[in-house]
Amino acid sequence: MSNSSEAKPALYSQTLLVGLWRENPTLRLLLGMCPTLAVTAAVKPALTMGCCVIFVLVCSNIIVSLMRDLLKPHVRILMFTLTIAAFVTIADLFLKAFQPDMSETLGPYVPLIIVNCIIICRAEACASKNGLVISIIDAVGMGVGFTLTLCVLASIRELLATGAIFEIQILSLVKDGGWFVKWAAMGMPVGAFITLGLMLGLVNIVTGKRA
Amino acid sequence: MSLCLRGKEDSQVNKLKHFVQQSWLLIVASFFFGLLIAVTNAGLSPKIEQNKINKRNRLIGALLPEARSFVALDTQIEIESGGGRKEKVEVFKAQSESGQCVGWSFNASGSGFADKIELVVAVDAKFEKVAGFDVLSSSETPGFGDQIKGDYYRSQYKGAPAGELKLVSIGDPTKIDSQIIAISGATVSSEAVVEIVSRFVTQIKEQMQKKGIIGNVKQQ
Repeated sequence: MSNSSEAKPALYSQTLLVGLWRENPTLRLLLGMCPTLAVTAAVKPALTMGCCVIFVLVCSNIIVSLMRDLLKPHVRILMFTLTIAAFVTIADLFLKAFQPDMSETLGPYVPLIIVNCIIICRAEACASKNGLVISIIDAVGMGVGFTLTLCVLASIRELLATGAIFEIQILSLVKDGGWFVKWAAMGMPVGAFITLGLMLGLVNIVTGKRA
Repeated sequence: MSLCLRGKEDSQVNKLKHFVQQSWLLIVASFFFGLLIAVTNAGLSPKIEQNKINKRNRLIGALLPEARSFVALDTQIEIESGGGRKEKVEVFKAQSESGQCVGWSFNASGSGFADKIELVVAVDAKFEKVAGFDVLSSSETPGFGDQIKGDYYRSQYKGAPAGELKLVSIGDPTKIDSQIIAISGATVSSEAVVEIVSRFVTQIKEQMQKKGIIGNVKQQ
């Protein structure tokens, strides 16, 4: 009895950490590449996208975990998509109501969370096989891992493209008498590919998994 | 005979049972989520509508400083876009505090360098001069095409005659006339905005004159 109660917190923290680093959805599983490349030109939209994904991921994992015993194998993907689509629509409506500018910046990428592989992967791999608590922790771990990666990527791009992070000027621009010349390419898709590529390479070196 | 019929009925009942067994969760969940979305939508849609109105007022308010309220025109205005397609345009009448017409505004769109450019355009009360434009959405190249949002380019439209505009590469940008000086390095984007503004302004002006809302027939 004491053994299992000791093992549980360890399992929880392990589940949480797996999403943050060892199975980080963006850097290790390479899931959800579409928003990773599309909304990371600045930190603000990246953070908003991350929060939306955390919300949808937690809600869908809760629902899928609760009905995991009722799921029929051949209609399970249909059920996952239905659940995810419902919560994404709700998140989209909330963004439109309370963050209209951000909603316009993100454009179609919020509705596109529906087809984000991270969420359907967690529903299939974790929530449909595990209990409620583990599913929630897994969702938070994966969601935060995704958000952090997006924010790091967006910080690098925003800093190089505009000299600012989170719209706070850090590098002094040439036109204000400083030295920094805006690197417009970093704000474009090419910047996303290059930065993500370098980040993935760096992570592979750190983990010792060379191609 | 009857036995055979009963067997058929039985198999149909079984089929139905099987169908319900397999799909009841899906049907129940569909209703549940549908209801959830409907409730959220009902709760938030007034705020979303208000946001849209606020945004429009903020944008046009900057272009027509005297405007306090906006009334949508009830007559249909349709303009021809490329390829003979017709587009409906909603024209708003901007009114001052005393209810006087201070200008008109409408959304205009057309293809830019990378993607569609959506503008909000304002003209003065007599439809003689362009009061200015603002960019609602565009995906022009950062650093080049996206300078159409900048003051250098936009200020050239403030007071320009409401008719055909022309893009030129050299000239004095501070001189207000029908010549718009292009942004160097972004000719396509500059051209696109000139084309959109010209097309919408001339066609809407023509139709509104025909309908007697402005111009020769009835003075506002």
